[in-house]
Amino acid sequence: MNPTREPFRPQRMRLTELPNGATGRVCELAGQAEVCQRLREMGVGESIIIERVSGQGTLLCHVSNTRIALSEGAAQHIVVELIRSAR
Amino acid sequence: MALPSHIAAAPASTGSRTPIYALVGNPNCGKSTLFNALTGLKQKVGNYPGVTVEKKVGTTYSQHGQPITVIDLPGTYSLAARSPDEAVTRDVLLGRRSDTAQPDRILCIVDATNLERNLYLVHQILDLGRPVILVMNMMDLAAQAGLNVRVARLEKELGIPVIACEAVNGKGLVELRVAMSRSDLPLARHAWDVPAPIAPAVSELAASLVEHDRKQPLIARAEALLLLTDQDSVRVAGSTPLSPRTTEILHHWQKRWAAEGTDWAGTLVNSRYEAIGQLASDVVLRAGTVGPTSSDKIDAVVTHPVWGWLVLGCVMTLLFVSIFTLAQAPMDWIGTHTALLADWVKSHMMAGDLRDLLTDGVIGGVGSVVTFLPQILILFFFIGLLESTGYMARAAFIMDRLMGRVGLNGKSFIPLLSSYACAIPGIMATRTIEDPKDRLVTILVAPLMSCSARLPVYLLMIAALLPNDRVSLGAKVGIMLLMYTLGTVGAFGFAWLFKRTLLKGAPPLMIMELPPYRLPGLKDVALQMLERAGIFLRRAGTVILGISIILWFLAAYPKAPAGATPTQQLAQSFAGRAGHALEPVIKPLGFDWQIGIGLISSFAAREVFVSTMGVVFNAESSEENTAPLRDALKAARWPDGRVLFTPLVCLSLMVFYVFAMQCMSTIAVVKRETNGWKWPVFQTLYMTGTAWVLSFIVYQTGHALGF
Repeated sequence: MNPTREPFRPQRMRLTELPNGATGRVCELAGQAEVCQRLREMGVGESIIIERVSGQGTLLCHVSNTRIALSEGAAQHIVVELIRSAR
Repeated sequence: MALPSHIAAAPASTGSRTPIYALVGNPNCGKSTLFNALTGLKQKVGNYPGVTVEKKVGTTYSQHGQPITVIDLPGTYSLAARSPDEAVTRDVLLGRRSDTAQPDRILCIVDATNLERNLYLVHQILDLGRPVILVMNMMDLAAQAGLNVRVARLEKELGIPVIACEAVNGKGLVELRVAMSRSDLPLARHAWDVPAPIAPAVSELAASLVEHDRKQPLIARAEALLLLTDQDSVRVAGSTPLSPRTTEILHHWQKRWAAEGTDWAGTLVNSRYEAIGQLASDVVLRAGTVGPTSSDKIDAVVTHPVWGWLVLGCVMTLLFVSIFTLAQAPMDWIGTHTALLADWVKSHMMAGDLRDLLTDGVIGGVGSVVTFLPQILILFFFIGLLESTGYMARAAFIMDRLMGRVGLNGKSFIPLLSSYACAIPGIMATRTIEDPKDRLVTILVAPLMSCSARLPVYLLMIAALLPNDRVSLGAKVGIMLLMYTLGTVGAFGFAWLFKRTLLKGAPPLMIMELPPYRLPGLKDVALQMLERAGIFLRRAGTVILGISIILWFLAAYPKAPAGATPTQQLAQSFAGRAGHALEPVIKPLGFDWQIGIGLISSFAAREVFVSTMGVVFNAESSEENTAPLRDALKAARWPDGRVLFTPLVCLSLMVFYVFAMQCMSTIAVVKRETNGWKWPVFQTLYMTGTAWVLSFIVYQTGHALGF
């Protein structure tokens, strides 16, 4: 008898927990409404691909064709699922 | 080849009134460069009344030579404003400001390398129902990034003129001017339906805006959408408030949605991005994947946790060395020529009060502040250069974590850094900080950074404290560095304190785009530098002139009997009497009434302390050569014969100058930037109070220890 296979679930984490060099897909924005709104307006909305380039505390990220600096408090608002580990 | 529709037929604009164009776009999309290219030197820079946001209006000409007014609105990512700058952009576009006419047409500039994000603002602007011209800037960079942007396709989809442009090289300007000259600009074919569940709210609110706030129907719909989905909207002075009925309807819907727990604001942004995504997928073709760009490669070093600090250190060192070396010659030149001018006036006018007022009050007072113009110009040149290349955003990124520890964000770094040269440009540079509390805290602590006007005071005190022949240069530099460190630590300490008490706020959040690196646009940098210089000089000609005259009056009256020396005159003037009156307060710091006169007069500018000491102790000396004054200071005694300027008093005086708010120009700027007297008064009290307490501790502790 084959045990039922667990469906594949990508790992969800806050952007602050994503390692440098890894890429994630934004699945949720959670926290202060104004910050979420500004993130969405700047193109960091649900289903967007985001790469964490470098930084500790304040992060440097790649979104579409732009680099965005996010302080720790702002990055906490972004929940991502890992789609590519650090190279 | 057939010309695009908007170029082919360009009938001249008609009508008697000069058409007004608003220029809008995201930050870093080349908006200022385009504005400068269109208007050149025909610009007027001022302020929107009641709010410290720069108002830039310029004139350009249509292809038929008719003038066109262009208003350069502050850059923004969205009409849902988060800062006073963004609120002004929103209010001008919505016709909410009585001081600025609502623009007839809108020039929307976008960065072709990042079309989707830039089209978000365009999408909101098209809702306004005004004729729009879309300027697609940075087409060269888009091509380099492997993007093929199909301009004609976008023009067809939107139904408005779309002009491909490279504002830096002046490409596309002719086409833009032709489009701007058209009298029959089409309205956008902008089919976008608001999500069905919020449509009734939008209709009701829009109807009320038309009826009770006298808005045009199209603008009313856009404004209704914005009001309903704007979180904690920023209101600024000069913005017409909503009618009570509209406010009532707005609150009703907001309450209802809050009870339902639906995030319509988020849904609306996502729904706009969906529409934009479809549009962009048709317009932008990607030529495969492109490797890391040159900006990525530079960033690998410049934002590196170790190399990044090293680069920042080198840039800052270069900045300071330039400010203190390159500025020296022009500063000396200004100093010499103001003295020559004063001499010339003296030799051409009859001796008397009017002559003294002109030479000592007006020329001397204003001259002593204008001397700092070269340093301010160099500082602004560097800041402009760093902004124009894209490095400034990296510096803020690197400093963000450190600044976060005292409750500020990376954007406070530049204002504080500028304040080492002069607090005035530093305070003016706080305008980029979105959070009003963070901005205010930065303004409050900026003058604690030791500015260049304190240098002459430090130099004189170090000279009096440490005779040249006995003490090494190292000790002098050490004391100087100690004073700079003291000010910096004080600034960070007070920022920490204010953010936890008086101006308590959420921890600072920074969401900032890092623009691609570019070669600096020297013309833009020079224009910005001249604008700043103009603002500084205007201030010198008004507020500083007024206060200089008052200070002169205080030192010149009442008159001493004929034949009195300048020292005797000063001693019995109002300033001298004030010095005497002040003595009980400053005696615990080790200062006598003569130093008190220096403290009062150096309120004009800190370095005036040196020249005042020269008059008080009757010693001819200059800022460069303090030897005669140094000897005079050494000879100064208390009435009981004790030495006045002991090393401890010199140290106490330096500590006083580190912290005290001895600068009328800074107070004037803070008053302007905070729209009132409350904060400048608080700042003067807390700084001067701290200065007194710390000097007291230094002097009394030293005294008790037998120094």
